[in-house]
Amino acid sequence: MSSSPSDPRLDPAKLTDEAMLVAHERVLGPQPDERAHYRLRPLILLFVASGCILFAATYLNRYSGHFNPSIYDENLVPSSGAAAIVPVDPVVMGKKLFNSAGACFTCHQPTGMGVPSVYPPLAGSEWANGPAERVIRIVLYGLQGPVSVEGKTFNAAAMPSFGTAGFNWSDDKLAAVLTYVRQEWGNKAPAVTADDIAAVRKAVGDRKAWSADELMQVK
Amino acid sequence: MITAPLPAAPAELSAVECTSRCPLLLLVGSGLIWLLLSGVLGLIAAVQLHSPTVLAGCRYLNYGHMQAMAETAFIYGWIGNLGLAITLWVLRQLSAEPLRAVGWTLVGASFWNLGVLLGLIGIAAGEATGIPLLQMPGAVQPLLLVAYGAIGVAGVLAWADRRREMMFASHWYAVAALFLFPWLFSAAQVMLVWAPVRGTLQAVVGGWFAQGLWTLWIAPLALAGAYYVAPRASGKLMPAYDSSALGFWALLFLGGWTGGRHLIGGPVPAWISTIAIVTTVMLLFHYIVVFLNLRVAYGAGGTALKFIGFGLAAYVAGGFIDALTSVRAVAEVTQFTFFDAAQHQLAVYGGASMLLIGALYFALPRITGKPWASAGLIRGHWALTVIGLVLLVIALAGAGWVQGTDLNNAAVSFAEIADHTRPWLLAATAAQAILLLASFLLTVNFIRSAMPECPWGREAS
Amino acid sequence: MKNGPLLFLGLFAALGLAWAGIVLGANAQLSGLVPYYDTGDSQAYPLGMPGQAAHGQLVYRGLECAACHSQAVRRPGFGADQARGWGERQSVARDYIYQPAVQLGEFRIGPDLANLGGRKPSAPDASDLYELLYTGRGAMPAYTFLFEDRKVLGQASALALSLTGHFRPAAGHEIVPTRDAQALVAYLLSLNSEYVYPEARPAPPPAAEKTGEAKK
Repeated sequence: MSSSPSDPRLDPAKLTDEAMLVAHERVLGPQPDERAHYRLRPLILLFVASGCILFAATYLNRYSGHFNPSIYDENLVPSSGAAAIVPVDPVVMGKKLFNSAGACFTCHQPTGMGVPSVYPPLAGSEWANGPAERVIRIVLYGLQGPVSVEGKTFNAAAMPSFGTAGFNWSDDKLAAVLTYVRQEWGNKAPAVTADDIAAVRKAVGDRKAWSADELMQVK
Repeated sequence: MITAPLPAAPAELSAVECTSRCPLLLLVGSGLIWLLLSGVLGLIAAVQLHSPTVLAGCRYLNYGHMQAMAETAFIYGWIGNLGLAITLWVLRQLSAEPLRAVGWTLVGASFWNLGVLLGLIGIAAGEATGIPLLQMPGAVQPLLLVAYGAIGVAGVLAWADRRREMMFASHWYAVAALFLFPWLFSAAQVMLVWAPVRGTLQAVVGGWFAQGLWTLWIAPLALAGAYYVAPRASGKLMPAYDSSALGFWALLFLGGWTGGRHLIGGPVPAWISTIAIVTTVMLLFHYIVVFLNLRVAYGAGGTALKFIGFGLAAYVAGGFIDALTSVRAVAEVTQFTFFDAAQHQLAVYGGASMLLIGALYFALPRITGKPWASAGLIRGHWALTVIGLVLLVIALAGAGWVQGTDLNNAAVSFAEIADHTRPWLLAATAAQAILLLASFLLTVNFIRSAMPECPWGREAS
Repeated sequence: MKNGPLLFLGLFAALGLAWAGIVLGANAQLSGLVPYYDTGDSQAYPLGMPGQAAHGQLVYRGLECAACHSQAVRRPGFGADQARGWGERQSVARDYIYQPAVQLGEFRIGPDLANLGGRKPSAPDASDLYELLYTGRGAMPAYTFLFEDRKVLGQASALALSLTGHFRPAAGHEIVPTRDAQALVAYLLSLNSEYVYPEARPAPPPAAEKTGEAKK
């Protein structure tokens, strides 16, 4: 085939269709063994492919999160229990509960100061800072009758029960809100756990609201 | 303008038969119209990025609409039409018979173009789906699906009529493109438009579709043409042809899994993006095999091989950059930035589109029976396209890198980010204008080369 | 390859395997996601999307806001999403289960919006958003077509924007958001991913693991 002048308007075809197909087909068939040793290119390609597969396997092993639907951070692995999950801070939960609709803040106010002569304060209160056994009974069953807080007497309203019918809060919630109250507004008292609440529930069973005198008997 | 005398056409340059000429020229011609239109829309969108007041008051032509319309016109209008034209022509060349079911192709091409037009109008009217690479309104999508089937029938029949029992590499890629697009498209339609899946599953399916469209439709369309033209125009045997089947199957089996590519750190379980990263890196094998084969385009002269050589370099570079930016440490910077747009332009415009244009330069004289009309326009097209593409990719990559590093610095406000990226975006706008001019040159050359031919019912002279 | 049907089967297998693995696999994990019931709040999260907000998401989609805004907060430590106040935690799949047309977006030419209604210390309110949409800012164009400039009839509308400078309407006129704008703003304000689901809780500090290993 003579070489045509290089005119960009027409690219001569230097192979016919048939010649191209036949030549390439011949490459795919068995080859004469000219040099009696392996050819380099397929070995290099094999090496490259192996490298790709090695990378893939290592990366998948490390960053797949074991294909777990709850793993969004590729550096994590799923764990069996709660160990990998940072527990929710009870004070944060307690604060949310304290300020939730219809709950503690409506009477005791978000500042914990209460309403003079009507609702007792929680800030600096000897009840809040006192033995856990008493405050647990207050939130579980309610309080009625006169009660003395920081030298003043409150008798205007009864405190409803939060742990039984009506609010019916779980032990976790009650423990959280008590823990919150006992460290907020300058209060410094130990936290309350859900187990403490459960123990009181079990020991006391079902009853109506406590009175201040009955509570003072409890240690 | 005085044109040089046409070179003496070698004996084997004969036009493809009359019946095949019309649908092929219709596909190429309509593709070029979409290329021009997407160039205009893309240019306006690029301007709106750094000058947001342009067309801001028009509810139909805001940046988001322009971007979606330009993307739809380019992918479905230009790549779809030209890709199908080249695929049908290559299958015809490799078959023993003229193209059959040509009437179906003509009808299909007309309805495909109508569908894309309705899609653009729908996007402007505010009915876009919001799914990347599937923006046209849901009502229009089945029209395109059916039209594609009509066009593809001729291709499948030509494949069945092939000259030799053993298939050539172009056959594999062409058949892959013909069959995989309808399956991808219909699956995405069902799961995203007709019975939408819930929550971020939409993003997973959308990602699977978008990556599938690139790896399993656009890339095969481009490679089908390139694998045919490179050896024929250069006269050389492809050196790694015995490995080319491995490269083909690597693309096919890995391509669909790269769907989570853009969901790194996103609201989906981590394994989805991990698999995407892994398969994107493994795809390097495919790019290496393609390079080893198509490098016959380098060194041999001619217009087609110049474009194919550029397209090959851009295609392979796009693949390597995709693998590089998929690594999470790099993705932290480049995700959500113009860098992704740069990689997309490099791969689709620089890679696939250029490979197809190279094939077009080789194919058109063999469709019409005459060489291209103007050498000057060819040289102009080549120069402007190279300058435009290199400038576009560098500008968008620079803008993206600056944007990415600024985004990761909480002290930098968005107004400052806009200031930092403005020079890069201005360069990108200039590049879009250059590419639009280049497309215009190609279109004029095509019209002058092909339009005198009006083969309706006439035999070629 | 000589065998046509075998090639066809290979193509089908290639696509089918990827679809089964990615799409069906993700579907198995994500399609059954239910809201998480918080016993402390006695509330299921995420909160359902009010109808106007759902319509607003379709307005968001029609306007292609996702071309510039993403809606997926990345985890603290991966980029500056937390430092920019976009969210305290990574967005997870459960945040999106009530959204009809999830708009994750692929570009951040503007800020991320996934937690716009829940931003700390202060989320924008409706009037801030109306003003932003009407005037534009920086790279964001002014969406004046989302508003109506009309004569004040009797009392000024409660929704009328209070604007200053050259944006102020003519005397006796008011700028009122259209239904689309109201829906869009309702949608943007409903975007709230403040609640910390179990799967979204931060990773434990590595120190605990190290001491565990040292003890062995």
